[in-house]
Amino acid sequence: MNNRLPLRARVAIYGLICLLAIPFVFPTWWMVTSSFKPVSDIFAFPPSLIPTELSFSAYRRVFELQPFAQQYLNSAYIAAVVTVGTLAVSSLAGYAFARIRFRGQHALFLVVLVGLLIPSEVTIVPLFQMFNSVGMIDTHWPLILVPTLGAPSVLATFIMRQFFITLPGELEEAARVDGLGRLATFWRIALPLARPALGAVAIFTFLHSWNLYLEPIVFLSTPEKFTLPQALTQFVDAYGGPMWDVQLSAASMTALPVLVVFVIAQRQFIEGLAHTGLKG
Amino acid sequence: MRKRLTAVVALAAMLGLSACGGGDSAGSDGPVSLRMTTWSANEAHLKLFNDIAAEYQSSHPNVAKITFDPIPFESYTTTLTTQIAGGNPPDLAWVLENAAPDFVSSGALLPLDETLRKTDGYGFDELAPAATKLWQADGKLYGYPFSTSPFGIFVNTDLVKAAGAKSPAELIAANAWTWENAVTTASAVAARTGKAGLVVRDFDYKGWDNLSTIWTGWGAQAWSADGKTCGFNAHEMVDAMTFLHQAIFTAKALPGPGTAADFFAGEAGMTITQISRASLLDKQKFGWDLVPLPAGPKGNYSVIGQGGMGVLKKGKHAAVAADFLAFLTNPANSAKLAQFFPPPRTPLLTAATLAKTNPLLKPEQLQSVVIDGIANGVVKPNHTGQAELSQAVRSALDPMWKADADVRGVLDGVCSAINPLLAK
Amino acid sequence: MPVLTDNVAGRAEPRPAPGGTAASPRRRWWTSRRRDQLAGLLFVTPQLVGTALFVLLPLGLVVWYSLHEWNVLADTFDFVGTDNYRELVDDPKLPGVLRSTLFFSVGLVVFNLALALLLAVLLNQRLRGTVVFRTLFFSPVVVSLVAWTIVWGFLLQDNGGVNGVAGAVGLDGPNWLRGEWTALLSVIVVQVVKNVGLNMVLFLAALQGVPAELYEAARVEGASRWTQFRRITVPLISPTILLTSIITVVGALQVFAQIAVLTQGGPGTSTTVLVYYLYQQAFQFHQFGYGSTLSVLLFLIVLTLTVVQWRMRRKWVFHEQ
Repeated sequence: MNNRLPLRARVAIYGLICLLAIPFVFPTWWMVTSSFKPVSDIFAFPPSLIPTELSFSAYRRVFELQPFAQQYLNSAYIAAVVTVGTLAVSSLAGYAFARIRFRGQHALFLVVLVGLLIPSEVTIVPLFQMFNSVGMIDTHWPLILVPTLGAPSVLATFIMRQFFITLPGELEEAARVDGLGRLATFWRIALPLARPALGAVAIFTFLHSWNLYLEPIVFLSTPEKFTLPQALTQFVDAYGGPMWDVQLSAASMTALPVLVVFVIAQRQFIEGLAHTGLKG
Repeated sequence: MRKRLTAVVALAAMLGLSACGGGDSAGSDGPVSLRMTTWSANEAHLKLFNDIAAEYQSSHPNVAKITFDPIPFESYTTTLTTQIAGGNPPDLAWVLENAAPDFVSSGALLPLDETLRKTDGYGFDELAPAATKLWQADGKLYGYPFSTSPFGIFVNTDLVKAAGAKSPAELIAANAWTWENAVTTASAVAARTGKAGLVVRDFDYKGWDNLSTIWTGWGAQAWSADGKTCGFNAHEMVDAMTFLHQAIFTAKALPGPGTAADFFAGEAGMTITQISRASLLDKQKFGWDLVPLPAGPKGNYSVIGQGGMGVLKKGKHAAVAADFLAFLTNPANSAKLAQFFPPPRTPLLTAATLAKTNPLLKPEQLQSVVIDGIANGVVKPNHTGQAELSQAVRSALDPMWKADADVRGVLDGVCSAINPLLAK
Repeated sequence: MPVLTDNVAGRAEPRPAPGGTAASPRRRWWTSRRRDQLAGLLFVTPQLVGTALFVLLPLGLVVWYSLHEWNVLADTFDFVGTDNYRELVDDPKLPGVLRSTLFFSVGLVVFNLALALLLAVLLNQRLRGTVVFRTLFFSPVVVSLVAWTIVWGFLLQDNGGVNGVAGAVGLDGPNWLRGEWTALLSVIVVQVVKNVGLNMVLFLAALQGVPAELYEAARVEGASRWTQFRRITVPLISPTILLTSIITVVGALQVFAQIAVLTQGGPGTSTTVLVYYLYQQAFQFHQFGYGSTLSVLLFLIVLTLTVVQWRMRRKWVFHEQ
C-alpha cells in the first residue's frame, strides 16, 4: 500500500503491537528461561525474567532419563510421513471436488466433511478396538493412518478445495486443447499453482501431528516408540511429581526447531499464498 | 463383550484393514509376556521394578517378558479404561485409592488371597488390616496396597522462626499441638513474612478429599462407613468447615482460593502432605521439620492415602500375573519397595527398618508419623462411583470459598447434590 | 504455462486412455464426461476410504454404543434401546452444560476471529519489523500445550502476574479462575492466544492478495479507511473468513485439555463444556454408553452449525457464486 503512514500513526501501531505481544511472548519466554533455572526458583514469585545462573544440567537429564533423541526422531518421521501423505490425499481430493464434475460429487463432499466435526475423544475407543483387533497397538500405524486418511486430513482437503475453486476456468480449457488428461492437468498445472495452499496445509498438518497428545498416550506403551508430547509427561520425580526443569527443557527443545522453520518459511508462505491464492 | 468384538473384527476385515495386521495370537501355551501399567515413569522406580522382574524371570522360564508401562498421572484412568474397553487390558495395573472401590466392587480384578496364601514365605498375615481394608470386598483381597502413605505436616522452621511464632516442635513438647495453635502459628507466618502460612497440598480448592486431613480431627466424615448417608451436613463437619473457613478468610492462615504457594520452593510456613514427599527436601536451603497432624477437638488422628496393585481378570494370563504379583510383594521385595512406598507389612513398619531407606527422616519422625499413622489411619474418602461423587462435591463446595459464605447452607447443598449418587 | 506433449499426458493418465487425437469407435462412448466421472472418483478414493474406515465406522460404533449400558470395569454391555437418549433429555446437568458450551464457543470464535483480523491488519501495514512480530504472535502455536497451560495457570492466580500488571496500573484484578464468568473468560483468552497465530497467518495472506489498485480507487473517491475496510477488504477476504470461522467453530467445540488443567470444569459447572462433560461420563465415571450418547449429541450440534455456515456462504462469500 503506502509507505507514508504519518509518524503518529506508526508510533501508535507499534505501541499497540508491542502491548498485544506481551501475552504471546511471556509464557514462551518463561518456559525457555525457566529451563535454565534451579527447580526452587522456577515458581518463585514474582518470576525472574532472566535466570540468575545458567544451568544446562536439566538439558543433560532430558537425554539421560528418556531415549529422547529416538523420541525426537519418532515425532519427526511420523510428522513428515503424515504431512507428505496428507498433501497427496488432500490435493487429489480437493482438486476433484473443486474442478472435476462427477456424479455424487456434492454428496461425497458432505460425507467427507463429517470428518471435520468429530473430536478425537469421541472416536478414540472404537479406533482403539479396531487397531487392537488387527494387532497394531504399540505401533506407529494408528498415528500415521488416522491423521493421513481420517478426520485430520479432511481439513486439508477442505483448504485445498477452497483454493482450487479460485483458479480461473481457462486452465482446464488450455489443458484440454493441449490434450492433457485429468491427472496430467492436476500434476503439471494445478499443483504447481497450488504451492502456497500446499504450504498452509503442510504447516497445519505438521503441527497437528507434532502436537498430538491423546492418541500417542493411548496407542503407545514402549518408551522407544513414544512421541515428544508424550515424552514430556515422563519426566517425573520419585513421587510422581513433575521434574519441572527437565520438562521445561524438553518442551523448549520441542518448540524451538519448529519455530525456526516457521521463521525461515513464513515470508515465502504468506506472500506466496497471497499472490496466487485469492485473486478471483 | 465377545459379540461386539467379533463384529468389529468382521467389519475391519471386510474393509481390508486386517491385510496389514500382524500381532500375536492370544492364549498360546508358549512363554507369556506380562504388562503392568503404572503412573510413575521415574527411572529409579522402573529400575527397581525391572530388577525384580528379571529375578523373577530367571526362575520362571515360562515368562518371557515383563514390561512396565508408565502412563501420565493425569490421563492414567482414561488410558487404562480405553485399553480395557478396547480389549487390550494390561495384566497388572496400579490402582489409585479413589478408584479402588470401583475396581474392587466391579469384578474387574482377580481375588488374590489364594495365590498369596499358597506362596511360600509370603506372610499374608503380616499385612496391616488398616492398610488392606479398602482393597477388600466380601472377605477377599482384590488389590495389594503397595503404597500406604500417611499425611503429616512439613514445617519450614526458618519461616516460623522469622515470624517469631511458636514452632510445632515447641507446641508438641508443651503438649499443645492442636489445630487452634497450628492456625495461630500459620497466621503469624502469613502476616509477618508475607509468605503463605499453611498449605493443604493438592487441595487448591478443587481436590476437596485432601481436606479430610483436617476434618477427621473433628470426627467428621464425607459419608457414613456404609457409604449411604451424607456426612457433610453433620454437626462435626459443620464445625470443622466453620473452623477452616475462619482459618482461611479471617485468620488468613491458609492462602485463599486462586493463590498457590509451593512449600518446597520455600513459599509457605507449613504444608500438609504425604511423607513420601520428603525427598523433595533433599537440596532445600531452608531448615525443615516433619510433625504429625495436630490434634482436633476429637483428639489425635491420622489420615492415609494409598495406591494398590491388582491383576486384571480379563488379562490374557491372569494366573501367571497373580503369581508375579506374589513375588513382587513378598517380604524381601516389599523391603526394597519400602524405600519409595511405605509398605503395608507390619514387620517392616519399625523406625529402624524405615530409617535405612529414608535417610532424610529421623527415627522419631518415622515412628510418630508413619508407623503410628498407618496403624490408626483413616483412609481418604472413597466410594463406588467416586469420580462422579467427587465432581459433584467439588462443584457444590465452590460457593464455600468466599469470605461471606454461609457454611451450613453450602454443606446442606453438598448433601442434596450427592444424596442421589449415594443412593445408587 | 509449461508446454506439454501428448506423450507425457498419456503416461500420466490414471488409466490407459485413448490418445488425445486418435479417433476410434470407442471414442464416442469414452466421452470426456465419462472420463471425468472416473477421474473424479479415483481422485477422491483415498480420502473416501479413509473417511469410511476412520470416521464413519468409528462413528457408527459410537452410535451403537449409545444404545447400550456399557460399564467398562464391570464388563457389562447390555442393549437398552433409547434409554440413554431418554436420560439425556432428563439429565438435570445438561442445560447448564449446553449453556456453558454456547457462551464458551461464541466467545472464543468472536474473540479469535476479531483478534486474528486485527493482528493481520496491523501487521499488513508496511512497517519495519513486522516479520519479527509475526513470529512472536505465531510462536504460541508451536509451544507444548501443557507448558502453555501451566504458565497461564500460574499467571492467572489471585496473586499472579496478570493481577500484578493490573495492580501496577491501579486496577484491582478479580480472582480469575475462581469466578464463574472470569474463569470462562480466562479459558477463552488462554486458548485464543495459543492458537490465533494460525488464523492470523491465513488472514495476512488473504490481505496481501487484495489488489492495491482497489484501495487507490477508493481513496480517489474519498472513502474513509473504515469504509475501505468494510467495502473492499472484508468482501475480498470473505473466503478466508469462511474457512477460518468453520475451523474455529469446530475447534471451539473440541477444546478439552485447557479446561482439564485450568479449571476442571469449575467453579461450579461454569466451564463444563460438552466435550469435557462427555469425557467425564465416559472416562471418569465409566459410563461409556451415556458418554457415547453425549458424543452423538455433540456431533449433531457441530454438524448443524457447519451446515448452516456452509449454506450461508452463498450470501456473503465473494467467490462462491
